[in-house]
Amino acid sequence: MRYLTVGRPESQRRDLVLAAALAFFSLFLAGLSLDSRLSITEVLRSSILAPFLGAQSMFARGADLSEQVTTLTIEREALAARVLEAADLELENQQLRAITGLPGRRISEFAVGEVIPGAPEAGVSHSFLFRTRADVVPVTPAGISAPDGIVGVLRTAHGGSGLGEFWTHPDFRVGVRTPTGSATGILRSFLAPGGETMMLLEGIPFQTDIPAGTLLVTSGIGGVHPAGVPVGRVVEEAESRSGWSHSFLVEPIVRPGQVRVGLVWLVGSVLPSQDSSAAEARGGD
Amino acid sequence: METERSTWVWSGFSIVLLLILHFLFRPLFVRLPLAPNLLVGALLLATLHLRAGHAAFLGFSLGILEAAMALEGMGWYALALTVIGYVGARARDLLFADARFYVFSYLFVGTWLAESVLLLLGTSPPGLVRLFVGGGADALLTALVCGGVEAMTASLVDRQV
Repeated sequence: MRYLTVGRPESQRRDLVLAAALAFFSLFLAGLSLDSRLSITEVLRSSILAPFLGAQSMFARGADLSEQVTTLTIEREALAARVLEAADLELENQQLRAITGLPGRRISEFAVGEVIPGAPEAGVSHSFLFRTRADVVPVTPAGISAPDGIVGVLRTAHGGSGLGEFWTHPDFRVGVRTPTGSATGILRSFLAPGGETMMLLEGIPFQTDIPAGTLLVTSGIGGVHPAGVPVGRVVEEAESRSGWSHSFLVEPIVRPGQVRVGLVWLVGSVLPSQDSSAAEARGGD
Repeated sequence: METERSTWVWSGFSIVLLLILHFLFRPLFVRLPLAPNLLVGALLLATLHLRAGHAAFLGFSLGILEAAMALEGMGWYALALTVIGYVGARARDLLFADARFYVFSYLFVGTWLAESVLLLLGTSPPGLVRLFVGGGADALLTALVCGGVEAMTASLVDRQV
């Protein structure tokens, strides 16, 4: 195969002029405003490059799905192991309850669903869409948790899907306690000085100290979340109010961006409400 | 005449195939530490068959598309690939590109120079290590892949004739 196509001198001059003109036009393009360059980019991406971008996003979705399958398989195996371990505990619990005369334990019921985060550019970064089986009708507000910990609250539900708010939402509140029950309080989202969204544990009596690293779990009061679900770990004391109470900065266990699959709690209140305060708490829990 | 038509068809097909592969797997190539630059390789192969002006125009068009894909460097990519297209075609005219080994060397040196130009224009991550080690390795890979494609194309053309 031969490649020789040496042009005549006048053709070579024409080629040089064309190349120089294109080089100048390239410099002109480079000097355009950002908006103009983005407009050109958008036109090209929506026309000539659209099939390539479509294929690339298809490959990315495929890779994402395969990663999700791997994660779910690992989680499923870990859960299966925990279920086997829990069988003994369950039997022990039943026997102890029978000995002490306590009624049988109410087993929480959960339904698995997909958590689709809202787009930050649409201003709904604190919200998510929850999709589960069509026959699942949770009583809202209902707690949404991941295997690791609390994710947020489902606010509306209809036909197997609903809208919810992550714990980062300014209106989110959850009652928590330490595993030993030495301290209880209300947790809310909090924008730390560095700009990171953390949690703030409020209303802790001044004489109660919670060491850094202490795990906080849901108290179950309010009936939105079941008791005992991990929420976060105490980082440090945040502030004290006039010697009466103090608050603690809490590192959340689950970050909204990490969650793709969640569990919605289908059972209502665990603890019977003694007065109307529980009903009030349920609205904001 | 038959040879020329056959050369155009097979070379055109292989160049378009390389460009499609480049734009399809671009995110993968960008993530890998070493990857063939199929865009520059395809342009250099095209310059073996095109006049310098046409090669410059092809480079310009590919530069615009690459910038739109990368979401940066609009104008700079076009400038770099225009120059590469023109210089590549002129180098072929001057150096008598009629030997297989020439094509491999042409692709290797051309890709390395192209990556250096893109680096100097700020469209690639900077650094001397990237320029001398990464650029050289990328150029070698490009020469192997695109040289292989060109060798296959040439053997197909020769067999048909």
